[in-house]
Amino acid sequence: MAPTTSPFLHPGPCSVEDKLAIIHLRRDLQLPTILRQRDDDNEGYVEGKVVNTRFGSFPHSTLIGLPWGSQVRASKVDTGSRGRRGKGDEKKRKREESEAAEILTKRSKLAETEDDDGEVSTPPTPKEGAEVVAASSGFIHLLPPTPENWTISLPHRTQVVYTPDYSYILHRLRARPGTNIIEAGAGSGSFTHASARAVYSGYPEMGDVNGSTTKKRKRGKVWSFEFHEQRHMKLEKEIHDHGLDGIVQITHRDVCEDGFLVNGESPNADAIFLDLPAPWLALPHLTRSKPPPLKGPNGIAPTDSVSNGDASPKPFVSPLNPSAPVHLCTFSPCIEQVQRTVSAMRQLGWVDISMVEVSQKRFDILRQRIGIDNGAQRGLQTSPASVDEALQRLVEVEGNLRNFHEQGERTEGKKSEKINPNNREKILESLVEKKVYKEGRLVHRTEQEVKTHTSYLVFAVLPQEWSEEDEKRARAEWPIKIRREDGEKGAGEGEVIGMSRRQKKHAERQARIEKAAADAEIGKAAVEVKEASTATEEPKAEQ
Amino acid sequence: MHSLVKPNSWVALRLPSDSMRVLQVVPNTTISLGKYGSFSANLILSRPYNLTYELLDRAPGAKDSDIRIVPASEIHADTIAEEQAAANPSQNGEAIIGGDGVEFQLVGENGEVVMRSNREIIDDSARQTLTMEEIEELKREGTGAGKDLIAKLMLSHTGIEQKTAFSLAKYKLLKTKKYLRRFTVLPVDVPLLTNWLREEKDATKTLELRDEMLALIGSWSNVHFASDPEGTPGTGGGRWLVVDETGGLLIAAMAEKMGILYPEDDYSSNPDSSVEAETEDPSKDPQPLEPNFATSNTITLVHTNAQPNLSLLTYFNYTPNAPPPHNSHKHPLATHLLPLSWLQLISPSQDTTYACPPAPCTPAEIAAMKSGKRGTYFHKLRRHTRIKHIVDSTLAGGFDGLAVASSMDPASILKHMIPLLRGGAPIAIYSPTIEPLVQLADYYSTSRRTAFVQRPPAELEGLSQDEIAKWLGNEDFPLNPTLVLGASVQSARVRPWQVLPGRTHPMMTGRGGAEGYLWTGVRVVPAEGRVEARGKFTRKKTEAGNKAEKGDVIKGGNTEGGTEAVVDTGDTEMVVL
Repeated sequence: MAPTTSPFLHPGPCSVEDKLAIIHLRRDLQLPTILRQRDDDNEGYVEGKVVNTRFGSFPHSTLIGLPWGSQVRASKVDTGSRGRRGKGDEKKRKREESEAAEILTKRSKLAETEDDDGEVSTPPTPKEGAEVVAASSGFIHLLPPTPENWTISLPHRTQVVYTPDYSYILHRLRARPGTNIIEAGAGSGSFTHASARAVYSGYPEMGDVNGSTTKKRKRGKVWSFEFHEQRHMKLEKEIHDHGLDGIVQITHRDVCEDGFLVNGESPNADAIFLDLPAPWLALPHLTRSKPPPLKGPNGIAPTDSVSNGDASPKPFVSPLNPSAPVHLCTFSPCIEQVQRTVSAMRQLGWVDISMVEVSQKRFDILRQRIGIDNGAQRGLQTSPASVDEALQRLVEVEGNLRNFHEQGERTEGKKSEKINPNNREKILESLVEKKVYKEGRLVHRTEQEVKTHTSYLVFAVLPQEWSEEDEKRARAEWPIKIRREDGEKGAGEGEVIGMSRRQKKHAERQARIEKAAADAEIGKAAVEVKEASTATEEPKAEQ
Repeated sequence: MHSLVKPNSWVALRLPSDSMRVLQVVPNTTISLGKYGSFSANLILSRPYNLTYELLDRAPGAKDSDIRIVPASEIHADTIAEEQAAANPSQNGEAIIGGDGVEFQLVGENGEVVMRSNREIIDDSARQTLTMEEIEELKREGTGAGKDLIAKLMLSHTGIEQKTAFSLAKYKLLKTKKYLRRFTVLPVDVPLLTNWLREEKDATKTLELRDEMLALIGSWSNVHFASDPEGTPGTGGGRWLVVDETGGLLIAAMAEKMGILYPEDDYSSNPDSSVEAETEDPSKDPQPLEPNFATSNTITLVHTNAQPNLSLLTYFNYTPNAPPPHNSHKHPLATHLLPLSWLQLISPSQDTTYACPPAPCTPAEIAAMKSGKRGTYFHKLRRHTRIKHIVDSTLAGGFDGLAVASSMDPASILKHMIPLLRGGAPIAIYSPTIEPLVQLADYYSTSRRTAFVQRPPAELEGLSQDEIAKWLGNEDFPLNPTLVLGASVQSARVRPWQVLPGRTHPMMTGRGGAEGYLWTGVRVVPAEGRVEARGKFTRKKTEAGNKAEKGDVIKGGNTEGGTEAVVDTGDTEMVVL
């Protein structure tokens, strides 16, 4: 059936045509690109579709079918003589630089540039299979996409949820394979991709093939909502291009107004992530039963829309999974938002409310070389490395001064001809011969730019509903055993063991040893063992 | 998966003091909460998780209490009341500025104190008029689940009316933690276990792993469910390599993210168990000789001792060292976790189990054996085929990622692991301290890589790519610096806050210990032959050139892949890319 799988989830061993790949230039400069043999946008290259970077040009034909992680040399591409860009190198270089700058400032407008290029009036038809010659301008590495490098390289539409935040959020939300997660405020889609990876447990269409014969599996899904139409459209296209169609469902909606049901059906959410300006407006839609009129901190219902929702004649459908605790996280930059959100959570019955912020740091790791060197080596801090060196220098200076005063002249000969230490030969020599990469003291420090605050994360849990009937049923299933002080056994009591933890552990160990011994005896007939063990272990499990 | 408490499952009981009791709920036993009281374990079986219970007053003559569920509205009652009071200042006559309940000390024009401050308060425990004996007596009486006691304590505090709202709330919280007889039932999962081990058990045994770092390891090693799609075996990949010296915590975290941590009964939605469950049903073949390990969505664990230390997996009902027909057999980890020792990985021929298969016996010989001897024979044979399968499949390489939490030198680990990773595979190495990671990042520094590319070590001449990947390094290049891209070190830390009306601030105390650091990189495949990267000749200084010139230090491991031949042809230019 050859289903199209996502390169995020099943990258396979090699890069594949029409799938996303990440072109790694530097750690913070990575370009996402969908590999195409043909140039559909008619950019006019002889080689078909081409990526231009500051390290040279890379026709897609040189990138398709490579093992992931491959280093790829740049190719000689005639960027000058095509279409409207025939004005020579000057213009081209400017464009390249501006492109690189765009990416650097994380304002990559890939879509736009592609659109621009589509406007070429008389596009020359690309010749298939043009010979590609390697250029010496540089190289890139071709990497499979992951939510991490996608987060670094994605086109920014809104504030991005970065890796330290989303990894922690998904961890705390218990987003695991099979989870249904609601994401409201998809934004740039970094959290969307990360949560798709977290909850993915197979494509739905594949499950249908043999789903009838085997036990029904729960497929994890991301239910994503975005109220900004353009962002929604772009994200929808991205999700489709990335092969995440069955795993992410995007709906264009303002959830504060219209709730979380998709086509009238419940997402059955186990986990919820709200990246909204006013999460407290969305919370009344996330209840297990018909929401009570929410009182704001001032005793006034926050919006009319909520009460409008209540007034609708449709029967109430909860968007939450009725048979599991629901974990919720809201992502708000301001403390006032947090306070209002927490207040709404308390009134709506959320428990275990906790708020944290995640601070992240990356480190520069470098070799610090300090010392006096007349050659003025590159990367050397020319101050004395020790008191001895300082002393030696002071003595030297003192001697020079004395010479000057006594003889009235400068000591000559010390001045050597200054050589620029930073030419190619010198640097190579210092690296290869002198091994400066091993010199100096290895130190680390926090990187120049630190994200000191991203947002406050509020976590909360909504336990499963538990009615008095449920409790009655449970009490019937598991009769209460209460020990009496007079040692008299209560009605229906068998072997009530009141024990400390240590006693219990001991009993457990004893039971395990006994069972292992029993198992070993039975040995051959594993069937019997299985039955016996289940029977001894869980006498009431069937109920 | 954690909907109702199942018999014999592990749960955590969180007490008002925020301490945890992790225990197995064995039916028909009694759970004791020390000074808070005790209750029948049956009272929490088949009930939902995350509910808060209150121990009711004991019936006369009973040793144990009955319990009742505390609804959320009751849990938050105080805070909501406080909020509403703050919203309607006229009711309590206190001056509140703003609607958020923040109080300020205000002095009126005539010097009258409008607001209370803590100036008048005498810091003395003697202000509590109840004596120890009386408190003990009240505790013994134990009415109202401690609420009465707290109320009485507050009433008998002589200075109570002098307290500000802040200190009053604090006082009440303090007493609540001490006397309120409530507890919350929580499922034992990886986040809970991590916090519990770090805060209440021996943190050093789990390398002081914190939640946020565990989550980061998972993200940066790109671990996720990746079972073969049905009908296309071998295409899913999803094989991760792990070095775990945290007693199984890292394995548990990864298994959780791969959907193979929770046993089937417990995990009705276990995504890929159905296929394996059919093929490996022991009833069909009581002596399975062929190892029936999963080929995708697996964790390969390399361990330091002869047997892996996976003691923490007990909390997920997996006891790996128990004999095969034991209960763990049906656990998804039984087929998805492939452990092997460093000896078996590096020098399998020296490992007896691997190198010496039991002498083959004919069916007739087997039939003639005594049952005990036959059992031993099959046991040995099984062990051998199992290890042979694990070792051979591991040495075949092609792993999709590597996660490490170990106290060993990371360079020594990578030396043997790098050749086993496929191109593009992410590497995440955790260390409680930064020094080993700084060292490792330096082995991949741009200048070291440039030197390597400019003059590769003589012994590498004429070797194939595969052989170069397996090269064990020399003094200058402990690791081949061209095989890893983007080496960098990071850290993340969570700071908890208290959010209460008018009293929102970061928590006053926390836990120290190791900060925790993560080294990340990506395995890459260098192009064959010499790679030129001169950049374009230009007089104009590039941004990178300027930076490198101004800096007093050679950029080290933080700089990334990009171009190896660092040097530009420009006069003063050095492209650090």
